[in-house]
Amino acid sequence: MTPLKTVGHATHRIDALQRVTGKAKYTGDIHLPGMLYARVLRSPHPHARIRKIDVSKALALPGVKAILTNENCDVIWGSGDQINQRRLFNNPVRFAGDPVAAVAAANRHIAEDALHLIDVEYEVLPFLMDLEEALKPGAIEIHPGGNLSPNNQRQRQPQIYRRGNVAEGLKAADRVFEDNYATVHHNNAQLELRVAVAEWSGDKLTVHASTQGIANCRTDLARDLKIPAENVRVICEYMGGGFGNKNQNQDFDLMAAVLSKQAGAPVKLEFTRKEDFVAVHGRWSSRQSYKVGVKNDGTLTAIQLTALTGAGAYRKSSCDLAGTEIYQVPNLETSVSPVYTNTAVAANYRAPAYPQGVFGIESLMDDVAYALKMDPVEFRLKNMTRKFRDQTPYTSCGLEDCIRKGAEAFGWKQRWNPNPGSAPGPVKRGVGMAMGMFGSGLGRSSAVVRLDGQGQYHLHVGVTDVGTAAKTTMGLIAAEELGVPLEKVNVVWGDTDTCPYSVGESGSRTTVQTGMAVIEAVRDLKKQIAEKGAPKGNEVLTAMATTNPAQLQGQSRNSFAAHFAEVEVNVETGHVIVTRFVSAHDSGRVVNPLTAQSQVQGGSIQGIGMALHEELRYDKRSGLPLNAGYYGARIMTHLDAPPVQVVWVETDEPYGPFGAKTLGEPTIIPTVAAVANAIHNAIGRRVKSLPITRDKILEALA
Amino acid sequence: MKAFSNVNPKDLKGAASVLRQKGQSATIVGGGSDLLGMIKERLVTPDVLVSLKSIRGLDKVTERGGETVIGGLITLDALSHDPLIRKNYAVLAEAAGQVGTPQIRNAGTLAGNVCQRPWCWYYRNGFPCYKNGGKTCFSITGENEFHAIFGGGPSFIVHPSDTAPALVALDAKFRIINASGGPSGERTVAAADFFKLPSDNPARENVLANDEVLAEIRLPAAKSGTRGTYHKVLDREAWTHAVVSVAAVMEMDGQVCKTARVVLGGVAPIPWRVPKVEAMLAGQRITPELAAQAGAAAVEGARPLAKNQYKIPLTQAVVKQTLVALGA
Repeated sequence: MTPLKTVGHATHRIDALQRVTGKAKYTGDIHLPGMLYARVLRSPHPHARIRKIDVSKALALPGVKAILTNENCDVIWGSGDQINQRRLFNNPVRFAGDPVAAVAAANRHIAEDALHLIDVEYEVLPFLMDLEEALKPGAIEIHPGGNLSPNNQRQRQPQIYRRGNVAEGLKAADRVFEDNYATVHHNNAQLELRVAVAEWSGDKLTVHASTQGIANCRTDLARDLKIPAENVRVICEYMGGGFGNKNQNQDFDLMAAVLSKQAGAPVKLEFTRKEDFVAVHGRWSSRQSYKVGVKNDGTLTAIQLTALTGAGAYRKSSCDLAGTEIYQVPNLETSVSPVYTNTAVAANYRAPAYPQGVFGIESLMDDVAYALKMDPVEFRLKNMTRKFRDQTPYTSCGLEDCIRKGAEAFGWKQRWNPNPGSAPGPVKRGVGMAMGMFGSGLGRSSAVVRLDGQGQYHLHVGVTDVGTAAKTTMGLIAAEELGVPLEKVNVVWGDTDTCPYSVGESGSRTTVQTGMAVIEAVRDLKKQIAEKGAPKGNEVLTAMATTNPAQLQGQSRNSFAAHFAEVEVNVETGHVIVTRFVSAHDSGRVVNPLTAQSQVQGGSIQGIGMALHEELRYDKRSGLPLNAGYYGARIMTHLDAPPVQVVWVETDEPYGPFGAKTLGEPTIIPTVAAVANAIHNAIGRRVKSLPITRDKILEALA
Repeated sequence: MKAFSNVNPKDLKGAASVLRQKGQSATIVGGGSDLLGMIKERLVTPDVLVSLKSIRGLDKVTERGGETVIGGLITLDALSHDPLIRKNYAVLAEAAGQVGTPQIRNAGTLAGNVCQRPWCWYYRNGFPCYKNGGKTCFSITGENEFHAIFGGGPSFIVHPSDTAPALVALDAKFRIINASGGPSGERTVAAADFFKLPSDNPARENVLANDEVLAEIRLPAAKSGTRGTYHKVLDREAWTHAVVSVAAVMEMDGQVCKTARVVLGGVAPIPWRVPKVEAMLAGQRITPELAAQAGAAAVEGARPLAKNQYKIPLTQAVVKQTLVALGA
């Protein structure tokens, strides 16, 4: 690829100084005159009907200004459930942590004291914790119609994908492998708590949100509050992370807005860390059963997946499972059934359907490779996807190079032990790898660029920057297209009053979608300059572009990755340390190598935590969570994180801005499976459920 | 967080008398690294906090009459870096240095760590268990992989402290102050007698009465040839309590172990001494074979619950590894 002037050069974030000096105002730092503080009362039961709520004592507490319950607030939180009508406060409550009431008061201590003065009479209902139990005939119904949540066609049927004929494919195989895998609910665990500050001025609402998309948050708020979108302003200048759980509008945004309306004063609502873990959402759990048919030479003939996924108490997202798409196979059938239980809600978390599905398929494919006495790397090179769903050509595909160059950087040939578990111990070393892919989204986004009479460019983009350095990325793309240094571009972001629509920072879409709009807007501006000349004095030239590429001419655009892990497992204590990690990525041209590298390292480390530690645990008899919060979730610390070496495989993507594709989410997709495969290589035993904790390792070795 | 007031007594007697006056509504606070979190969670709801931070001189390490005296208010970080402790009582320096995180060690105190309430997830989530004033232990038939394999019943918590096993291994003495004047105003208790099994009182972990303050910890003079170490198994590399830990102290005569004290953490409601192991080691060279036998002896009599079986091979392995490291 031809090197460019600005894009492709390691560049510090344009807001780095503000962030590290504490000048950046995050939503939690916002303080408005006369602002009230809110707290939420949550269900102490996994399933209960509220017979009566008496808020009179709480309202009588000096300093209490407003209380919302199911009785005086019928707002439907549209983003909270794709299938059922989910209100802000529901009756019955369907999980321990379901909101029952919200209080706004002069300070947060009064608000919290008021919660304890609300009398709620519950009729405790039977509850379900387990996916299989929930589908048994006669099980209580968490939502009317049963606990199998509808598929994409809104039928009470599994979500099915088929190509070829799996029965025939399995018949044609020399060997058939079958196995089951389980993954668990775990939390996004972003650093910034969920927080919103809402203020009304007449019928105009301003929400300082902690959101991954100011534009979506705005339209969602308007929809749920039944007011015109132009009456809603959403501001989020600095954002402290979400990993998918701050897409759209969240219930705390809405609660703050409704409380503020009722109290006639600005309201700040910030959840506690514990609420953050139980009350919003985490990654959905899964039970996966595979059958794989293979010829003796390693050629795949069929893959069949039957799976349940754990939606929790509401259906907030797809609850799908990905992973099988990374293999070329003529016969494929996947059947995924999202199931309701009385547990924390599951929805988007960095590559929502992927790392757990890839853990399943890549664990099994690893076993297949060893059984056929093939090097796992060679097995994948032989069977990796060549076309999307074996039909549609890729716009660009660097998967093979990710595997080859990643293996080389990792030293696979020298490090791989063909006989798992054969090292002497007690500390056994092992290596594993896995691959993954992720669609690079298509859709609408906009940008505005202006040139003023002083020769300064102003780029208006509706990004908040969820940690990806999106503000900087947009500035780099504009600067490159303008042919000016980044300093000449003043990036304006984070406010729906000053920025046009930008796709939410979810689905790893910002660079590919908003980036294209930036290029189009700049091209328009350059045309205007050519026609009208550069502006002088108070003159300003403005260009706006909205791009919405619907098709890629019968092609499919995806990013690809291969991850390589080395672990040391002490077989006497079950202790695992990840000692080496190489992440090879094809995300097209890398716009900013500095922040892109951080993305890959962060995603990989997050995936190691998913592989080894994280699970939201419940007491099964009471249905109450046991380990909500950072301590209990055993989130990775600096001491747990290995150095992650990043290998770039830069394909020239014809449809991306300067050849760029998607990056943020692919970074976690193969990680979990790579770690699991490395543990298998070290100890010669396969742990088939996440997280791979000490007790499971010692049990597997016993 | 429920509102509370703060008292800054100027000496330990003053602290104890506020405690006596206020009864159950008062709680001592040292570093507050755990207590304040518990108050925020409303797990405890004191009206009065009696802060020991205002009392001078309670955070020092001094040598007195052949003993080493450590003020209860010394931070875990200071303790872990104290030259005298590192030289003569390595097991304690290592244990203190492995508590929590640097932030916690900078605030948390030795007395606070010794008296820390359990980290059982039933207790910490407010289940009405023995520790929360109830009449049951939810772990017995619940989620119990982190619970006791020794000394359990009726509560199956494990003692959360890293320094406690080290102090029992060092045969420390605890000086406890109460509000009374004269000789009845204080008592000294051996570390091994300070901690109490739930069969004595399932609501508490030690002998401290409500109006008593753990003031100092006294360590006997280190004998020459004594070495010690603390091995802690964590479920990540920092900021978890011990899944299993081993505090071991040996008095060596050349290659031969004259006497040994071996105390386990993370396996019982109190620091769990293993006298059989200590007897096996006395008078012996610490060979890998002997260490392995000691590991096996350490888990004799373990009574695991449904999900903590793994602690048996784990304990066995950590005892072995610790003794091999120490005897080498």
